[in-house]
Amino acid sequence: MGKVNIEIDGKQLTADVGSMIIEVADEADIYIPRFCYHKKLSVAANCRMCMVDVSSLPKAVPACATPVADGMVIQTQSDRAIDAQKSVMEFLLINHPLDCPVCDQGGECELQDLSVGYGEDVSRYVEGKRVVKDKNLGPLISTDMTRCIHCTRCVRFGQEVVGIRELGATGRGEHIEIGTYIESTMDSEVSANIIDLCPVGALTAKPSRYKARAWELRESPSIAPHDCLGSNVNIHHRRGEIIRVVPRENESINEVWLSDRDRFSYQALTEGKRLLKPKIKKNGTWQETDWQTALNFAVAEMKRIIGVSKGEEFGTIVGNNSTLEESFLIQKLIRGTGCNNIDFRTRRRDFSKDQYSGVRAGFNFPLQDLDTMDATLLIAGDIRHEQPLAALRVRKSTGFGRAMAINPFDGEYNFRLYQEIQPEPHLLAQEFACVLAAAAQKQPDKINAEIKDWIEGITFTEQHAIIVDELINGEQSCILMGVYVQEHPQAEVVNWIAEQVARLTDSKWGYMTQGCNAAGNKMAGAVPNQSEFGGRATPGKNAKQMLTEGLKGYLIHNCEPDVESLWADQALANLQNAECVIALTSYEDGRVSDYSTVMLPIAGSYETSGTYVNVEGRWQSFSAAVPAPGESRPAWKVLRVLGNLLDTSGFDYESSVQIRDELKEKQENSRDKKESRKTPPELHAASEEETKRDSLGLYMVDPMVRRANALQQTSKASTHPISISRVTT
Amino acid sequence: MKKFKQFVNSFLLVELLKGLMVTGRHMFSPKVTIQYPEEKTPQSPRFRGIHALRSYPNGEERCIACKLCEAVCPAAAITIDAGVRESDGSRRTTKYEIDLFKCIFCGFCEESCPVDSIVETRVFEYHFEEQGAQILTKEKLLEIGLIHEEQLAQDIEADAKYR
Repeated sequence: MGKVNIEIDGKQLTADVGSMIIEVADEADIYIPRFCYHKKLSVAANCRMCMVDVSSLPKAVPACATPVADGMVIQTQSDRAIDAQKSVMEFLLINHPLDCPVCDQGGECELQDLSVGYGEDVSRYVEGKRVVKDKNLGPLISTDMTRCIHCTRCVRFGQEVVGIRELGATGRGEHIEIGTYIESTMDSEVSANIIDLCPVGALTAKPSRYKARAWELRESPSIAPHDCLGSNVNIHHRRGEIIRVVPRENESINEVWLSDRDRFSYQALTEGKRLLKPKIKKNGTWQETDWQTALNFAVAEMKRIIGVSKGEEFGTIVGNNSTLEESFLIQKLIRGTGCNNIDFRTRRRDFSKDQYSGVRAGFNFPLQDLDTMDATLLIAGDIRHEQPLAALRVRKSTGFGRAMAINPFDGEYNFRLYQEIQPEPHLLAQEFACVLAAAAQKQPDKINAEIKDWIEGITFTEQHAIIVDELINGEQSCILMGVYVQEHPQAEVVNWIAEQVARLTDSKWGYMTQGCNAAGNKMAGAVPNQSEFGGRATPGKNAKQMLTEGLKGYLIHNCEPDVESLWADQALANLQNAECVIALTSYEDGRVSDYSTVMLPIAGSYETSGTYVNVEGRWQSFSAAVPAPGESRPAWKVLRVLGNLLDTSGFDYESSVQIRDELKEKQENSRDKKESRKTPPELHAASEEETKRDSLGLYMVDPMVRRANALQQTSKASTHPISISRVTT
Repeated sequence: MKKFKQFVNSFLLVELLKGLMVTGRHMFSPKVTIQYPEEKTPQSPRFRGIHALRSYPNGEERCIACKLCEAVCPAAAITIDAGVRESDGSRRTTKYEIDLFKCIFCGFCEESCPVDSIVETRVFEYHFEEQGAQILTKEKLLEIGLIHEEQLAQDIEADAKYR
């Protein structure tokens, strides 16, 4: 790409040919006022606020839509530029209401800020202002459409980034209105990003409406706990209460966006029914008690059950969203007592590879590369609802590349699929095996004897061959497996096929996981058969065995197996029949108070420090943004004390950072174990019963999301996004 | 000569009479001492006494929860919680508290208020008997506003041309 030399405000700059003045100015830290321009959206040039003075041109020009040319001399502060900007501001303020004190955007409003700089103090306009009826966009976004200045950022976001045109402009001139064409709510899973995009107070967050002003909020960085991407967020809080959650820019994970789930789940912490004191159930009634009594009670019960059954009759279920530190402590604690039953995978049917230890991340390429894939093959992925922001990246790649899917269920995609195969759920692996067969035929020199034997007798169709062609021909291509793959009884087969296809077609592979810290939980050793970083451990019962067989005692950390697990009904019955259920929970509503014997209040997300390991294997540590309410304590502290009371050694940590550093050291010392998959897993038929998908749905994934009121009121809350196979047998 | 003058002056008690003349003059001049509490000094319309929240004649509170007074308060004496009012969806305070122990009666809150809601009345005589009574709640502030509304309206009217 060629370079040109330009001058902005006396600064000599070099810029790429074809870049716009505003981009170059932003890079050089020269501020040009703007409303409609946004670096992630196309150029609309309809607000005209970014007028700058180019010496070779007779009139001021919009900086966002004027490409740089060699030798351009640009003034952003000259009389001509300022005059143009002042005139634009006067036009904008003709119809914009001047009641900033009642507007929710007041204090963080781009229009307010710029009107201080460019607005006149007296309006020359005496005619009536226009009034636009507010639209009801659902429980997440509240509108003040009179305030809209028609920058169309929200419209362009829907059209370009999400691919769902929910908002549009109707009417012309004075009568232009932003709306949903026909009256409807905004239902996309990333809809609330328009709140951030809106430069004025036309679109604001409904759950935090009128609650606080920007200037009284404190900002703490954190990590969103609901999908495996680990979106970066900023927690805005005041006097120890979370007011809102906004995205923190991180180009390699969430860019500047945030899914609605991550944005509004904080409501569970502020409005959910929190457990504030430790409670013990005595004769069927709950009694509040102090920490000491509750912990002693829990320890005595654990010792009793583990002692009598030699650890056989006690099980530990770790939540998907537990931090790395918590998982590590809980497995250390439970193994220290001589019990080996620990697992976090309440939604997994295939445990066939458990005896091989190994720790690795779900992706063998950076998440960011999803943007530039020429071919993406999705396997049973409802990516839009599972990892909404990853779906935006895949959509970006479909601008030039092609997305394909093998999905047993009706998927909702926000991009066009080039090829789609819909096998029956129990034949997913068989269908995918055909792709491997096709790949093997196209790349005969890359296959080895095992694959040759394995694909013996598998036939493929034209469609499979097209998919393989795309994967081979694409300069960059990847195979992306959805969360359902890990729930499939042949998960290991599918994983193996994916890796083989990826190898043969020179693609990348990645599998998405449930929850935000599946990789971290595994690293920490919260699985039977291996301790931290693939360390040796006596085999114990896995989640399925623990939940379906029924044990005498359970330790449940930050999860609700009666809702989340694949065996919810059995889990509920077994938990109710257990002699003792120790629940580390942040909430006291739900069935947890029904089946547990002792409830220990732990801090929720954003109230505790810790580390999440995302699907790429990226460690993201965060500290507590707000203090935990009542007597609830960060879980790592509770586990530390439990560990000491249980007389297990090595529980003298003073901070979660100390635990993390120890783990980091262990990771560096553990050899990068290449998984030995020399022997391919067997391809056998799965039963139809076993492959039923009881999807948790977009807003049911974890205890926190289930208690976020606003999210539960959305139309997406009640529907399970994919659950029906349209294949008829 | 000088000595002789001094002797005559002291013999005739001139200094004393001079002093008594001052006393005498003040004895008959008009008095400025105010017999508080029976008598009171005149107050400016800008007098800054205890706070009040004003209401409109129809009973609707003026405050729109813009939080400018909270932001401008140099003593951080004002605490506001706001939210959507259930009945009409308007922006209202759910909590409005002024800690009179913190307040320095600077009047910035009054100056910053875009709707003339928070004002300082002419009342300066008050006391507290219990811990915590120094915190003026929203109810108390509105009540004070109702009691003094007439005076407050007059004062604001009188000061309007200087604002």
